Amino acid sequence: MLVNPWSLALCLLAGLSLFLLGMASKTALRVMRSWQPASDSARQIGLEAEIWLSSTLVQYGLAFQVISLFLFVLAADHFSGMLAGAMCATGSLLANDYGLPLLAVKGTGIFLYGGWIVFHQLDISSETYPLVRFKYILLLCLLPFVVADAVLLILYLTALQPDIITSCCAIIFDAAPSGTVQNLVGGRHGQGLLLLHYGWAALLFAAGLVAWRRRQAFFYLLYGVGMLLFFGLALTTLVAEISSYIYAMPFHNCPFCMLKKEYGYFGFLLYIPLFFSVFCGVMAMVVELVKSRPGLGRRVAELQRVMVAVSLGALLLYSTLSAWHYLLYLVAGGEG
Amino acid sequence: MLIELENIVKIYNQGRVNEVTALDKVEMAVEAGAMVCLKGPSGSGKSTLLAIIGCIYPPTSGRAVIAGRQLARLPDRFLTMHRRRTIGFIFQRFNILPRISVFENVVLPLLPLGMSPKERRALAEPLLERYGIAHRRNFPAGEISGGELQRVAIARALINDPPIILADEPTAHLDSRLSRDFLADMLALKEEGRTIIMASHDPLVTEAAGVDRVYGVHDGRVTKDAC
Amino acid sequence: MKKYFEKQRNLLDYALASLWRRKGKNISVFLVFSLVIFLLASFLFLSRSLQVAAQTTLRQTPEITVQRMVAGRQESMPLTYAERIRGIFGVRRVSPRVWGYHYNEVTGANITVMALAGDPELGREPLAEGAFWQQGEQGRAVIGQGVVKDLDLGGRRTFSFFRDDLTLKSFAVAGIFAPETNILTYDLVLLDIADGRDLFGLADDLATDLLVEVVNPLEIATVARKISERLPDTRVVTRPQIQGTYQAVFSWRSGVAAICLLSALSAFIILAWDKASGMSPEERREISILKILGWQTPDVLQVRFWEGFALSLLAFAAGAILAYVHVGYFQAALFRPVMMGWSVLRPGFDLVPIVQGGDLLLIFCLSVLPYLAATVVPAWRCAAVATDAAMGG
Repeated sequence: MLVNPWSLALCLLAGLSLFLLGMASKTALRVMRSWQPASDSARQIGLEAEIWLSSTLVQYGLAFQVISLFLFVLAADHFSGMLAGAMCATGSLLANDYGLPLLAVKGTGIFLYGGWIVFHQLDISSETYPLVRFKYILLLCLLPFVVADAVLLILYLTALQPDIITSCCAIIFDAAPSGTVQNLVGGRHGQGLLLLHYGWAALLFAAGLVAWRRRQAFFYLLYGVGMLLFFGLALTTLVAEISSYIYAMPFHNCPFCMLKKEYGYFGFLLYIPLFFSVFCGVMAMVVELVKSRPGLGRRVAELQRVMVAVSLGALLLYSTLSAWHYLLYLVAGGEG
Repeated sequence: MLIELENIVKIYNQGRVNEVTALDKVEMAVEAGAMVCLKGPSGSGKSTLLAIIGCIYPPTSGRAVIAGRQLARLPDRFLTMHRRRTIGFIFQRFNILPRISVFENVVLPLLPLGMSPKERRALAEPLLERYGIAHRRNFPAGEISGGELQRVAIARALINDPPIILADEPTAHLDSRLSRDFLADMLALKEEGRTIIMASHDPLVTEAAGVDRVYGVHDGRVTKDAC
Repeated sequence: MKKYFEKQRNLLDYALASLWRRKGKNISVFLVFSLVIFLLASFLFLSRSLQVAAQTTLRQTPEITVQRMVAGRQESMPLTYAERIRGIFGVRRVSPRVWGYHYNEVTGANITVMALAGDPELGREPLAEGAFWQQGEQGRAVIGQGVVKDLDLGGRRTFSFFRDDLTLKSFAVAGIFAPETNILTYDLVLLDIADGRDLFGLADDLATDLLVEVVNPLEIATVARKISERLPDTRVVTRPQIQGTYQAVFSWRSGVAAICLLSALSAFIILAWDKASGMSPEERREISILKILGWQTPDVLQVRFWEGFALSLLAFAAGAILAYVHVGYFQAALFRPVMMGWSVLRPGFDLVPIVQGGDLLLIFCLSVLPYLAATVVPAWRCAAVATDAAMGG
């Protein structure tokens, strides 16, 4: 289903991202080949100017990635109207094998772009640009991701076939035999999962507070790894449990419908804090890698503290907001 | 010493066929509060020297310390950050943007600093008053007289309250009356304790009252003139 | 944080002023960009309106329609089939329907004649005058605005149709549908099922097709499968299928249109690239002055970004508003022949432009983002002007 404005827009965005990152990679290759900080040659001066080009390109890339993730979810919702058996975006994503991997790549892309920008900011905060090579190697690692994104998108869209009634054959029946809404994570898990989710969040919060006070690598590591695990857990819980409290329907478990107007765009209030919390928590751990580079020790330490603080705030926000409908349900009963 | 240059070499387009050595083993030292002239024909390396003192680019080699900061091979970003705290520029022809107002020209250096309009006004108004151009503040800079333009340039150079003022051929396009006015303004700034460096081959400048020292610049080499 | 926003505001102010100073250079980019966005938005708005109009029609479509197929052609349906469908669990109601076309030889128009049993579904649509017939009343019809015109009724409230054997059957006009429902009722004559059978010469135990209502909408597919298993000589069409087909057809059409317009867009992008690359000596001098005065390369880039963003946002707004007017007031005069020519909808209804957030985002992604991407590199070339370019010899 490539001939469709939504598909075209997604493909266009993928193409633009490739273009942006391709241009940035040219700089990356040149920097790796001939970066000589001590030289006053025309080439070195040119390279120093190119740093700004590449960082701008990656910032655009990040913005495009965020927009394209959002557009993808909207498009999936739009496609669901044309696919037999797809009630909402979840159905479209499950319509073939490429939907979910594509979503995962798009989501991860945001973290990678964001991470690169953090390293870039650290790099230009020191007079010796200590991370130049590191960050351009990282940039080249981003490239396969953007290519994968484009390839998966094309595969997904070409494999997606709308069900059109033709005059020759009689009936096309819905793919979903029971007619109920599909679920991304299989059956329901019950209260146990909710308990695990909030228990984990509470432990993480405690670990984060310790990391914030003690400022030791070990605690950042603990918090970062805990955050990564929490991300998976939170997404599962969102789909399996929290969503049905938001929709007030026991079998409606779509993680995307809550982004729509019908549910007051409530999903954004969950996903944005969750993403921020995980991103900052993980980055606090990851920047430890470059703490020993010349001129970065203090900057990294400051950054880690800010990151953990933002992450904790976002975690608190996410936990409160995600529990909101559940608590409402407990207080007001089923009709809440 | 506020400005110390030791063994400064600047080579343009290094590694290309049009490689040019603009400065060759320059030694120079200027103490705070001095008024110094760089004298020499155009193409002698005067402007390059001014650009290195003004933190526009670093020297190819040698030791340059400007207001306590060693500049060797500092990336552009940090040179700029140092420049905006320490240097005020007055250009040949003043380089005022003709299509924006006098006020906006004066506050141009403040825009990337994240100052609110109120803060900008608080810094700019006293300078506009001091140089008698407050009544012109909303005029496009292209429509005011040469004398006023020159004072706009001085006000803009002072907006960051820099310790060092650099002037590149400031009197090249002024008549003698305006030139004298300009030198009087510079003298006043010297008396405030600022360091003034002027590049010029105009005798009116090199022989002006208050000039402590004159350096001759010839073919990329600097000599101390006895005036 | 406050400093950051203050700085962005200052740079934005500077960018807007600079955009205004270079009116001459920017106006051509603005005009062409607005035109491209206008075309794109018109097409998307138009196809969205048609889609929504189609969905309005489909609201009246029964959940399941059962037709009898003989030798691959549709045949009349014996009412005994209705009994067999009623036996399926989950079916709420089965009602027979008789419908067909009446060809008006005078005007050459085809009138849709639909005859329903009992309380007609369409009875919920508002009428401009009159009322629906009571159950069991014969010889009374409710007709659409187009039929009034086509039959040239004027003030008369009776009309006649020929039966197949060329005898006349006359009807009294019980009511006329309100113009708002034109999309559904424009050329419709609604009758009681007994009148329909009489007109088309159908036996009392036959109908054209059967309409099936289901208790739980989620079970449409299941019920449909059971019907086709029980009555293998029928074609079963469900509402979701029809909706899906409509949507796919409209999407495909606007996709084709979008491809055409993307070539216009790429031409524009080349223009934009070209315009952004050219830099006058005055601009070079300005950027160099800014840099000597303490602006960083990223600050200049930021100004360029704001310029491009403001320009494209303005063009976006202008193009989208013009497109709205084009579709709403001028009834998409430019594209109507293309879209409607192969449209499944009948003409004679007013287009209501429908603007959805998603469509706006789509237009944004198809126009503003490519523009921004195309101008990064030229913008950087401007911003990378050597700092000392404005210094004298």
